[in-house]
Amino acid sequence: MASISVPVGGAPSQPASRPRLRVSDYLRWSVDHKIIGVQYMVTAAFFFIVGGTLAMLIRLELLTPNLDVVQTGAQYNTLFSVHGLVMIFLWIIPMMAGFGNYLLPLMLGAKDMAFPWLNAFAFWLIPPAGILMIGSMLVGAPEAGWTMYPPLSTLFSGDGQTLAALAVHLLGISSILGAINFLVTVKNMRPAGMSYWQMPLFVWAIVATSIIVVMATPFLAGALTLLILDRIAGTTFFDATKGGDVLLWQNVFWFYSHPAVYIMVLPGMGILSDVLSVHSRKPIFGYKMIALSSMAIGIVGFTVWAHHMFTSLQPELRIPFMITSMIIAVPTGIKIFSWLGTLWRGKIRFTSAMLFSLGFLSMFVIGGITGVMLAMIPFNLHVHDTYFVVAHLHFVLFGGSVFAIYSGVYHWFPKITGRLLDERLGKLHFALTYIGFFFTFFPMHFVGMLGMPRRVAVYMPEFQGLNATASIGSFVLGLSTFLLIYNVIASLRGGRLAGANPWRALTLEWATTSPPPATNFVGEPMLFEDPYGYGTEGATAYLDAVERQFGAPPQALAADKSVSPAAQGASGD
Amino acid sequence: MQGDLAERRLTPKEELDLKNKRTGLAIFQVSWIMVFFCLMFVHWQIRIQSPDWPPPGVEKLGVVVPSAMTLALIASSLLARRAYRALRAGQIETFLWNWRMTIALGAAFVLVMAFEWLTVPISGQYSNLFRVLVGFHGVHAVVIGALLVRVYRSAMRGAYHSGSLWPVEGAAGLWYFVTIAWILFYAVLYWT
Repeated sequence: MASISVPVGGAPSQPASRPRLRVSDYLRWSVDHKIIGVQYMVTAAFFFIVGGTLAMLIRLELLTPNLDVVQTGAQYNTLFSVHGLVMIFLWIIPMMAGFGNYLLPLMLGAKDMAFPWLNAFAFWLIPPAGILMIGSMLVGAPEAGWTMYPPLSTLFSGDGQTLAALAVHLLGISSILGAINFLVTVKNMRPAGMSYWQMPLFVWAIVATSIIVVMATPFLAGALTLLILDRIAGTTFFDATKGGDVLLWQNVFWFYSHPAVYIMVLPGMGILSDVLSVHSRKPIFGYKMIALSSMAIGIVGFTVWAHHMFTSLQPELRIPFMITSMIIAVPTGIKIFSWLGTLWRGKIRFTSAMLFSLGFLSMFVIGGITGVMLAMIPFNLHVHDTYFVVAHLHFVLFGGSVFAIYSGVYHWFPKITGRLLDERLGKLHFALTYIGFFFTFFPMHFVGMLGMPRRVAVYMPEFQGLNATASIGSFVLGLSTFLLIYNVIASLRGGRLAGANPWRALTLEWATTSPPPATNFVGEPMLFEDPYGYGTEGATAYLDAVERQFGAPPQALAADKSVSPAAQGASGD
Repeated sequence: MQGDLAERRLTPKEELDLKNKRTGLAIFQVSWIMVFFCLMFVHWQIRIQSPDWPPPGVEKLGVVVPSAMTLALIASSLLARRAYRALRAGQIETFLWNWRMTIALGAAFVLVMAFEWLTVPISGQYSNLFRVLVGFHGVHAVVIGALLVRVYRSAMRGAYHSGSLWPVEGAAGLWYFVTIAWILFYAVLYWT
């Protein structure tokens, strides 16, 4: 079936020498999407540690029912507010943008993004925003949670709230500029011979994400503009005593922020589609369904926002929003079953990347089911603003997005740096993360249903057992992160060389050296017509041709069957 | 001065760059108009909550001057379009004249609306909404208007006599955006 679109083989051209990565290149303005991608990822990882530290303080506080880490409830408010803002706006969203920036042009066989300067500009908005966000803790800290509901955010929070709102404003603009860049790149810069239906599913996911960003994030910009005006210019849009409306904020904020949860998870789903197919050596099951379900999630995602406000909404609007919220489980379910279909009877290689993807599958299903539970009005009213909601959102954001990010890091690290991460440490990282994650967040379902409200530092003594379990789990989870950091640093220095295509994957980013040269490809990129056509003779021929052209992985690696199928014979492809 | 400037042969890279810029501008227009929709929604939500609109004792905004200014802005956009077409056809003089008129009408719009903004009677939500909507639009009109002036000055230096017409096309596209955004606000502020 499959054939090779671009003639390959012939005399093996000499493998291009591996470009050297220099730290100084990453510390200054650069318009190379590969450098910008890494800048995004490293910056995001820094803020992951910041947000993680705050999370550790939160869990340390909740180890006992009384105030011990913080002196006042207000300080606790600051901890969880900044934790949420940092994790969402400075970790997950920029990290996904980092993957998009690094991979999109490579997957499309392009030299760079459509607007390289704009790309760099969008990135350089992030560090000042991060400084504003951290600075906000020092000047009358924000206390209104990441959702910034008025009147908490207008009448009761300190000046830090204004800084935090400005930071999010900047990050929103950065996001919009990035998304415009992604969309134009995908539309105009695909190589000859790659139709929309031959794009890797990660690219599809970025397209769906970018559409949501360009259509929804302006609402955040509008809402934040009004919030800042209310805080500094004396307007009263959100002040109910002066003809304003607090529900207005909730409507406009969630009209952005519900789609934003798909901004955070859709790229992760794209990562999953690629990783699962490569590491189970099987064509992806239901390619078009996965691609279209991303778009469906993007569109339906605009019609569900008020399910965040069931308790404050006009009652007659509840049922319609309940129905749309449940409908959105359908495209998500299509993806889950397509991934299971991909795994079914595959030659699964339990690499660290694959383990984290499988971890995503299991944890995201739990988060998805609690999502459907929360969409049901009677249940929602019961657990509204309890730890059940906290459990749900961490299952989709950590069990979903962060697991996908980890999976992507193990999968593409060899491409980005030319060296493999240590697999044994990777598996240990996975085991600790999986167990730590589960014991951190699963008990929260129970305390939530028992009635423990979220966003409180003091709770009833009978909840201490479950809270202590969650806290101990979270310490394991926090420590597990350092395994990854150690692994990255150690592997950068002395990791095994990866070769061009250590996983024998068919998408275009692997058909060049690792790391790729400044122009990404020397000459025309070698395109295989079906990015997921594993298990065919054409695929084997193509992968062998890639190896001839760019060099096989070093011998030591090829002999390690758990890492590379190269030694398992060509039929494995 | 004669001949279709647009027919100048572009290299494949220039062609791709131009295509990218056009797509990017179109996506930006669709995206950023959402902020204006957001503010329209805000306006609508606040006014349906008020028993009387405008609030008792507050005079409704006069509609004559803003309507004239709306017409001026629309005319200015149409002239920008004519200017761009003339430039494509190589008629530099026609382009310059039309572009000058675009800027003049745009400046009239900005100045008159700034006067309206400064003189609106202070009356709580009613004038706050007016000021935020008109001010938000005004910021866009001023920034993009400055871009029109910059394009004009480049044109006077002969920058577009041969070569890239993109700055003109892009600035005109952004000016259409300012016009459409204003029509939305004009409709909600004066006719609802």
